[in-house]
Amino acid sequence: MKIENTKAQMRKGVLEYCILSILQHGDAYTSEIISTLKSAEMIVVEGTIYPLLTRLKNSGLLSYRWEESSSGPPRKYYVLSESGKLFLKELDTTWNNLMVAVNQITNNKK
Amino acid sequence: MNKTININLGGYFFHIDETAYQKLRKYLDAIAKSLSDDPEGKNEIIADIEARICELLCEKITETRQVVNELDIHHIIKIMGEPEDYSDSDESFQKTQSKSNNSKSNSKKLFRDRENRLISGVSAGIAHYLDLDVVWIRIAFILLTIFSGMGLIAYIILWIVTPEAKTTAEKLQMEGERVTIDNIEKKIREEFSSIKETIEDGANNVKKKVADGFQRNRKSTTSGLEELLNIIGSIITVVFNVIGKFIGIIIVVFSAIILISIFFGVFSLGSFELLGYGGDLINLPNFVYDSIIPYWILTICIFILIGFPFLILFILGLRIISSNIKQLSKTVSLSLLGIWIVALLTVLFAGIDIGTSDAYNGTKIETYPLNLTSKDTLLLKMVNDDELYYQDKLRRSTKRIKVEDNGVKKIYATNVKVSVEKSNTEEFIFEIRKVSEGRNKNKATENATKIDYSYSIKDSTLKLNAFFLSHLNHRSSDEIVYVTIYVPENNILFIDTSILSFLYRTKNSNNLYHGDLTNHFFEMTEKGLNCTDCVNEPVM
Repeated sequence: MKIENTKAQMRKGVLEYCILSILQHGDAYTSEIISTLKSAEMIVVEGTIYPLLTRLKNSGLLSYRWEESSSGPPRKYYVLSESGKLFLKELDTTWNNLMVAVNQITNNKK
Repeated sequence: MNKTININLGGYFFHIDETAYQKLRKYLDAIAKSLSDDPEGKNEIIADIEARICELLCEKITETRQVVNELDIHHIIKIMGEPEDYSDSDESFQKTQSKSNNSKSNSKKLFRDRENRLISGVSAGIAHYLDLDVVWIRIAFILLTIFSGMGLIAYIILWIVTPEAKTTAEKLQMEGERVTIDNIEKKIREEFSSIKETIEDGANNVKKKVADGFQRNRKSTTSGLEELLNIIGSIITVVFNVIGKFIGIIIVVFSAIILISIFFGVFSLGSFELLGYGGDLINLPNFVYDSIIPYWILTICIFILIGFPFLILFILGLRIISSNIKQLSKTVSLSLLGIWIVALLTVLFAGIDIGTSDAYNGTKIETYPLNLTSKDTLLLKMVNDDELYYQDKLRRSTKRIKVEDNGVKKIYATNVKVSVEKSNTEEFIFEIRKVSEGRNKNKATENATKIDYSYSIKDSTLKLNAFFLSHLNHRSSDEIVYVTIYVPENNILFIDTSILSFLYRTKNSNNLYHGDLTNHFFEMTEKGLNCTDCVNEPVM
């Protein structure tokens, strides 16, 4: 049992929630999402994100559009779909419950 | 100076170093491999990743530095993460789940696996079928062949009967994966890409070597020699590997045979004793029988003492054959060592116990006068109790046999020595000297006293028992009964043939051998026995 694995798994679990939350405030292209997550230290390397985004898109929670960029290749802007919004709402309550539960448990321990 | 390659990444055009290109290509290939099997999603992800790399590279490239180099690729890998990081945790979960579903719902088929074969792939196929390591199957075949020959026959039959997995569908069935179009496609793609890669790598290597060869023309002799040495080295390594495996197999088989034979030996000895057999086992080393430690404990200890080293050898052999076999953990090996030492101490203790149990000799002498007058002729005879143990012809021997005397188990021994000597008095005297051994002088004498030897006298006939009975615990095979008959001078006695093999140190004035002393009349003279009816017989 490596601590790194556990840490990564903990992060991975909430990663989808985080991505959806970022898109809630407005459309974003991949690099933006990545830099937001990176600055919050949610991810260490970018690789993890690509399969995740594709999976979310394929399951209909996200859609995307192409936009030309002045300083590079065209950018893929991700948009939160209607079902994605519902999904996010569901996750919000789950997250709050989870936080309460975890706080309760960890505080009791002290 | 480095050659550059032009690439198209995310719709952009880059100059890239050859080494950097190789690195980037390998990186993308590795990512593609670690991604999901769904080709469409995979392509999309790869496209996204390429676009991102393109973005990152665009930041690096300036007017003054137009070529992407190895360092840039390193940097990108650092940002993007290793190929393993791309695999989705959900995905691997799904994978294991679907795999377990497969093994349940999908019936495997037995094929021969030529790819992992040693001879024909029968064992490898069975290993796939049973989800075992192929080593076990091979060992089973070898053992079956050695012990009954069945292994070889079974192998040949399986070889003939089992088809070889030729097509991809068959290979998948052999390994128990679901045969779907996707899986076949995946397998083919895997195979193809691995072949392609090896060919490409090989071609690149050759190309590189040729180029190097031109560049380092001067060093070519040394590098040629080096290469030759390398080839020889690798050949030697392969040969040693093969020899090593072979030795491993020999060690495994050898130690397995010994373990099995020890096991069966101990088991059958133990069950003989439990079932009450073993009348003749008494002739085994008294070490096992005579011990104060219970027989079965001692047997187990001896088994451990001999068996454990071979067990270790067996495991070592397995490890040589297959690196999959794990080393024994520290606790296991330490406790094995502990048990072994306990067994060793127990056996040592028993050994010391046995060693001292016959350290002293003890003798018990009984003397009886025989009420005979000088005119009587003493008739000497040996008799046996056929109810105890039947003997066709009476013989003296050191053999000891377990018998039952009125429901009591005793030892029946025939080590009786009879001699005739001149009496110093006018009386017939009859002496029985019983000799036994024991832990100390007293114990030895006590053991000697317990020897049960009887005789009978009727008129002038002395019937000596051709055997004596001893306590079951007296297993010292050195127990002897000496019978001496003291005959006064001028008295006559007849020695019966039955006494032949028991006769011992009997002097006679006719210089006859013991073998010729029986079935004759003798007169006791000053010089010992004198045969009175042997006159006609020629002395050879």
